[in-house]
Amino acid sequence: MRNFLAFIRRFRVLLFFALLQGFALTVYFTFSSFPRTQYLTTASSVSGAVMDMRNDVTKHFALSGSNKKLQAENRWLREQLLANRMALKAPVGMDSVVLEKEDFIQRFEYIPGGIISSSFSRRNNYFTLNIGSKQGVKHGMGVISDKGVVGVIHNVSEYFSVVKSCLTENINVDIMINDSGESGFLKWNGTDPRRGNMIGVSNDRSIKKWAKIVTGGKSGIFPRGIPVGMVEKTLPVEGLPIWDVTVLFAENYRTVQYVYVIKNILKTEQELLEESIPDDPIEDE
Amino acid sequence: MSRILSHIFRFALFLLIQVVVLNQVELGAGTLLMIYPLFIVLLPVEINIFLLLFLAFALGISIDAMSNTYGLHASSLLLLAYFRPIIFQAFAPRDGYETDLELNIHTMGFRWFFRAFGSLLLIHHFWFFLLELLRFDEILYVLQKTILSLPLSLALCVLIQFLLIRKPMKGS
Repeated sequence: MRNFLAFIRRFRVLLFFALLQGFALTVYFTFSSFPRTQYLTTASSVSGAVMDMRNDVTKHFALSGSNKKLQAENRWLREQLLANRMALKAPVGMDSVVLEKEDFIQRFEYIPGGIISSSFSRRNNYFTLNIGSKQGVKHGMGVISDKGVVGVIHNVSEYFSVVKSCLTENINVDIMINDSGESGFLKWNGTDPRRGNMIGVSNDRSIKKWAKIVTGGKSGIFPRGIPVGMVEKTLPVEGLPIWDVTVLFAENYRTVQYVYVIKNILKTEQELLEESIPDDPIEDE
Repeated sequence: MSRILSHIFRFALFLLIQVVVLNQVELGAGTLLMIYPLFIVLLPVEINIFLLLFLAFALGISIDAMSNTYGLHASSLLLLAYFRPIIFQAFAPRDGYETDLELNIHTMGFRWFFRAFGSLLLIHHFWFFLLELLRFDEILYVLQKTILSLPLSLALCVLIQFLLIRKPMKGS
């Protein structure tokens, strides 16, 4: 016992250091995958408020650019309105198909928000949004901008939320090549904020350069067809029958300011249905 | 008393500068400017080591909370605080430090500051970027980030001392 006390006394500084260091490292290694509280993120009210104040000043620097972007998006949306379109085929008789409003139900809702803090040169980059659970944001919702996919909601507090952006290592958005329908997952290699990687594309298919890459929509986080980027180059992976596809992102994450959080109204229904699939023991290996 | 207040003021100031300004300055090539290690170095020489470690942890975790780095800054600042007495010992002047003296660039001179603070900052930066990337096949990228960020952070820390700390009167 005395030896033990002597040991503690001798190494008390080192032990105290190890204790604090252990806490810091535990937080570091577990938080990015399992966020337990929002207190250590910018979703907490104090740091959220600081970021909000900073953003109040800096958002004006990019005001004209943001306005142009919003205007371009508005123009595109206006062109989609039915009133601006002319039917190519005149309806013949009474049996022709007329799409009534009642034929559709809403599947995705969009919650507008702004990015108040972001980084893009770290290994895992998180963005902070000025909307939170009060506005209906929940963990796991998708986030897009007018140009493309931004990320997935990681952590939510009352008035703020933290987005795990496309510039994180294991973002794993399911994506596909628009023309050929090859699907895969989005990854980021941690260095270049303009480029990501698409993995899981089998190398017996040829991939066209500059083919558009969009979201696949299978996971229900994003609707199908949200732009992600373009194929810049394809390289063979040694020892594996897949391509390593370099994706040039559609969105420039350095300048993105205004985003939409996607709420999938039918997500629980899809998940319940998918849960009923029995696990295949062979595929688990 | 006024010294404690000035340290509290520095704690808040360095925290805000780091979070509001420096974290947003992206110079490319993965560099990051860091000013908060200076707070730990400017603390009095005779400070209790436990208090020193605790302050390092508190400052680090506050920066983490405001930049979504989850303990990365806390871990590297703790390491710096742990090495502070060792490095100070290694670069001590022949007759030791004067106990009530604050070790900054005015009192200790450029040479001491670059060597002592430079080595502490090297430990801090290397650990920070190593932990951030966490892959041994990218050790060159870790070194690149460390070597590019180090002189920038060092220059910034020298600059802020000229702005913040009054030069002591000659002879006093």
